[in-house]
Amino acid sequence: MAKGFVLDPTTAKSDDITSPGPDAGPLAGKVVGVRVDQMWRAWDWISEVWAEEFKKAGAADVKFWRSCGRSGEEGERMAEGLKAFLKEIDIAVVGLANCGSCTGWTVHDALQAAAAGKPTVAIATANFEEFAHTIAKRGGRSGLRVHVLPYPLNEKFREEVDPVANAHFPRLLATMGAEIGKGKQAAA
Amino acid sequence: MSIVTIAPSHAKLKAPPKQLVSRDCGPDGCEIDWLASARHEVELDVVSFTQFAMDQGWGDGLPLVPPTDARVRGMLAVNNRFPDEVIAYLPPMRAECTVEKIVINAVMAGAPPESLPLLIAAVEAFGEPDFELYGMNATTASVSPAVFVNGPIRNKLNIPYKHGCFGGAASPAAAIGRALRLIMRNVAGQVVGVTSQSTFGSPARVSGMVVAEWEERSPWAPLAERRAGVKGDAVTTFGGMGTMNILDTTSQTATEFLEMIGRSAAYVGTNGFSPAVPFCEVFVAINPICAEIVGKEMKNIDDVQEVLWKNASLPADWFTPKHLEQLEDQQRIRADGRVYLTPEPKDVVVMVCGGTGGLHAAVVHSFGTSITQTVAIV
Repeated sequence: MAKGFVLDPTTAKSDDITSPGPDAGPLAGKVVGVRVDQMWRAWDWISEVWAEEFKKAGAADVKFWRSCGRSGEEGERMAEGLKAFLKEIDIAVVGLANCGSCTGWTVHDALQAAAAGKPTVAIATANFEEFAHTIAKRGGRSGLRVHVLPYPLNEKFREEVDPVANAHFPRLLATMGAEIGKGKQAAA
Repeated sequence: MSIVTIAPSHAKLKAPPKQLVSRDCGPDGCEIDWLASARHEVELDVVSFTQFAMDQGWGDGLPLVPPTDARVRGMLAVNNRFPDEVIAYLPPMRAECTVEKIVINAVMAGAPPESLPLLIAAVEAFGEPDFELYGMNATTASVSPAVFVNGPIRNKLNIPYKHGCFGGAASPAAAIGRALRLIMRNVAGQVVGVTSQSTFGSPARVSGMVVAEWEERSPWAPLAERRAGVKGDAVTTFGGMGTMNILDTTSQTATEFLEMIGRSAAYVGTNGFSPAVPFCEVFVAINPICAEIVGKEMKNIDDVQEVLWKNASLPADWFTPKHLEQLEDQQRIRADGRVYLTPEPKDVVVMVCGGTGGLHAAVVHSFGTSITQTVAIV
């Protein structure tokens, strides 16, 4: 059979930032920004629990920003809103990667936060962990920190979700490289 | 939140001009190697090459035509296009989609050389931020971009608009659609189970969905002209979730037909009714027999869209309590106690196509937050 050459149909992005970015460091006096969405009530519940925990850990404030439609005028409002939000916060907690498109946009917004120099962690459920890392790498930052929550999650009732939030908070701090008081959280 | 209307963003994404190769001689005029892609030495028969391509992750499981220099150069030459022109940045990879990459994938798919202008217009439309390809390529949904074609190019390329136009008509449309799907895989980086989380997928993710409008049988202006003022050759791209068939052997009047179609399109599990989706469009294909009846009563397409829109709605108490609670929180229940599939009548995208057997309409539901794009084919 004849041999010959064919042209490669693929493209590749070569630029990649493998660093996780700066640690969150001491929480005292800092403003933690939590990105929520309009899809996952479980993520709203977890965010509420974590907001209280961040305050107990010394955070000066916890601010929320809700992602909605990402196209058209609505998308422009969202893009501007995210930019403004990132200026108001010191640390970004970005969720929730719990489906295809929402993992895409969670990582997208986390990459925006990381690019703005904020200590950033994306929150994914276990089923979408690998996808979140893949999307982050394709977005040019494979080092993005990802904290993983159990899956399935949104199908659970609040009384089941709150304990998950509490159990994961110390591990979240470890992923973020956050410090309470004098000591840095040991990785779980 | 409240009802979010669909309005295009103000910023249009235009790929910056970038020249990689000399323009000293044209695509059909010299032997300069201006193709930038890596080359692989392979067995050139279709079976061997298809296996090689599958091993590389380039393929979709169907036989592939080897994209040799001669075939790629030939397609460029027929269209007098340079290979280095960047048409779009396609997510999730956000890598450059050049004319060269479009041609290589088109050759592999078996698309005719004359389809290159259509492919370029479609890729340009896909790359518009308002099309929201980022979410579409990643989602768990089964969405795939549909391409609706207007203008004389319909006949030049034999894009179907009569019997079996959404699938089954012997036509290059499937190869053209497949070329767009290979571009999505190899350039955008949409790979099932890796960057695409689609739970079920759909046949349109292999062959695409490339359909033309039967303009000669439409009582209204062509779709592209109505949407964007584009006369002649154009593509309109729509984030479609697959076709839904609606049979109506009973209706006789325009209003009756449109009520039947509108009510059928309104089912609770479609993305447009999800509390997770701020807005949706919906596509309605009306067959030429029905279009004639509707057109006699409704000369203005706005009236058609209005009736479809009003009927593509559900009473709030039709939703389950938890869904209803979320919809109430989002203030999506209107004063008449109903939830509407799309924000406004203009968001119902209507086109005439299909066989003369009539009886059926086709609805394609939208992924949501993807705004339909119309681009002229030049």
